[in-house]
Amino acid sequence: MRVVVAMSGGVDSSMAAARIVDEGHDVVGITMRLYDASEDERRGRGGSCCSPAEVDMARRACGVLGIPHYSVDEREHFEAEVIDPFVRDYVAGRTPNPCTRCNQHIKFGPLLTRAQALGADVLVTGHYARIEDGALLRGVDPRKDQSYFLFAMGKDALSQVRFPLGGMTKDEVREQAERLGLPNAQAPDSQELCFVPGGDHGVVVERRAAALGLSTDALAPGPVVDGRGQEIGEHQGIHRVTVGQRRGMQIRGTDKRYVLRVIPESRTVVVGSAEQATARRLYVEELQDLALPPVGGSMRAAVQWRHRSAPAPATVSIEADRAVVEFDEPVGAAACGQAAVIYDGDRVCGGGWIAATE
Amino acid sequence: MIDLDHNATTPLDPRVRASMGELLAREDLGNPSSQHGRGRQAREVVEAARRRVAQAVEAEPLGVTFTSGGTEANNLAILGVARALAKAGRPHGVLTSALEHPSVAAAIDVLAAEGHPVKRIEVDAQGRIDPDMVAARLGAEPRLGIVSLAAANHELGNAYDIAAIARAAREASPQVRVHCDAVQAVGKLPVSFRGWGVDLLSISAHKLGGPAGAGALVHDRGLKLQALRHGGAQERGRRPGTEATLLVHGFGHAISLAASEQPARHANMAARRSRLVRGLQALGARIHGDPDHHTGNTVNVGFEGTEGELVMMNLDLAGIAVSTGAACSAGLPEPSPVLLALGQSVPLAREAVRMSLSPNTSDADIDAVLTALAEALPRIRKAGTAVRSAS
Repeated sequence: MRVVVAMSGGVDSSMAAARIVDEGHDVVGITMRLYDASEDERRGRGGSCCSPAEVDMARRACGVLGIPHYSVDEREHFEAEVIDPFVRDYVAGRTPNPCTRCNQHIKFGPLLTRAQALGADVLVTGHYARIEDGALLRGVDPRKDQSYFLFAMGKDALSQVRFPLGGMTKDEVREQAERLGLPNAQAPDSQELCFVPGGDHGVVVERRAAALGLSTDALAPGPVVDGRGQEIGEHQGIHRVTVGQRRGMQIRGTDKRYVLRVIPESRTVVVGSAEQATARRLYVEELQDLALPPVGGSMRAAVQWRHRSAPAPATVSIEADRAVVEFDEPVGAAACGQAAVIYDGDRVCGGGWIAATE
Repeated sequence: MIDLDHNATTPLDPRVRASMGELLAREDLGNPSSQHGRGRQAREVVEAARRRVAQAVEAEPLGVTFTSGGTEANNLAILGVARALAKAGRPHGVLTSALEHPSVAAAIDVLAAEGHPVKRIEVDAQGRIDPDMVAARLGAEPRLGIVSLAAANHELGNAYDIAAIARAAREASPQVRVHCDAVQAVGKLPVSFRGWGVDLLSISAHKLGGPAGAGALVHDRGLKLQALRHGGAQERGRRPGTEATLLVHGFGHAISLAASEQPARHANMAARRSRLVRGLQALGARIHGDPDHHTGNTVNVGFEGTEGELVMMNLDLAGIAVSTGAACSAGLPEPSPVLLALGQSVPLAREAVRMSLSPNTSDADIDAVLTALAEALPRIRKAGTAVRSAS
């Protein structure tokens, strides 16, 4: 069986390749170039997943494993499907989730297609998640589980994709990579978005919004107001503010204030107390159905509304073009633009994008 | 493995490997610049190679400057001569085309940045160059002191009538220096420094069965140029640095074989190429370049709706080496500047695949490539459609 492995240059995808090679398949490594990192690398901000140095790392790992390696250009798709929506979300006062969009629109879109164009039966990635009997499950390492980012991978992809690391912990991955002599066995985990190598996403949003011809009014500093509309401070642009956050603004007073809402039209950020910063209900759109009840049905579920949140018990009702998530207890920091992922135990049943909260 | 990427590099000719092995076993060779016996022995190896190179391209040994390869020869010709002309107060602009190899194009970019005038001659949709146009441009632009055009295009395999171009150039501008990048021509086409009437000719060993790391700039014995390196009088000061005796020896042997076997090699390759072209056309391919004047070994082809990269990868996985001809900028594939210069759109240019044959390519090789393509193209096309509809 021919298998294409999506290789970022990091240890996880290299180890995923190693495990598939070990099974005796005809394995091909592919690294996607997602944006032109050469400028960043010249300025010493390299190390992001599509820089020439990382492509080289993937190539070296493939050399150790004795498999062919190619790099492919996905810059246009990535810009159109990931970076630009990311920028539009921030300009509109939402908090985007580019990693999920990349999985949905790049890895399990054009990359999967390319794998098929190379005659591959299966695409492998280094995600920490499991696919068992057609069900998408959490990875066994709770610190690394990436199932949250995979809810939109699509039902069809479940039969065309494998995640060899889903049953492993990160420590086991590093240990095995070390034993195999993979060059990136001890490479640090990437913590930032690959197309924001300096860690300052605000600059990317400002530059790209202007290039897209979007109004950049909302990106200027603006007022921070309390629940009564009283101005109590200033923020540095709504794209630097996320619902639930309490740092990064100049606010008078000593009370802990959390961002409740972002109003792009007036560039206003509304803050309030921790109690006020909670939501009991989420309206979730662009539903992805892996194992959801039919329209009109409902289910008891554990819903995760951001990457690092613990799943919270809720009742999920499926409507014609959206789902309503009713939490048993109010949850904090639910931001529009983030993904709400619906779990039944370890199983991802589906999810969508938070369009409104109450 | 089937290698249809001989324009990238050729395997070392076994006869050359044998003679290089013999040289490698010798223990009596010193530094060719040394006065003592060991030095003289090495010097004789280098000079014998120089005579072979000169003879192969119909030049004189005193007009052969060894370099590390084609890139250095092209750089030295263009930068070295233009800078020397500028210093002498003579016209030092360059007339070139948009089809040239990066080692020519990038050197000319350096000159442009230094303030040398640079003009590019028009080419037609097949990449042909009209000698009268060269004359017209030189006549209209007195600041031009150098013409730099390749004898054979690295991506298309187009062959150019360099003798006619040089003649037209001199009629328009008697003092003009004509540089010809002949890296892709030697061994495939008859190459004659004297017969063509050029001033500068670049050659590379590893494109004609010799080792990578050796090449030569061929010129008149009195050529004045500014060296690119400093620190020695080797190669009459034109290219300081201890000569690579072993590589130069292999180069000399390989080029003498390439020159003497050129007619037979060309005939062999051209026959296989015709078979390949017929098969490709049956698969619905578009063939790029000049159909009438070519090296006989290169086919530049595009399949509608299929990325060249995917064709290359599919063939590689089937054990067949071809190239896309895409230039690599910071590791990112950019559409071939050669195809863009022919007026092709970016999507069409991204479909291009270059197949380049060797004299040893067999009919069976060609048939295997065609079979692999027939198998790969439908699945690539299917994927190509899906990729487009996803965006």
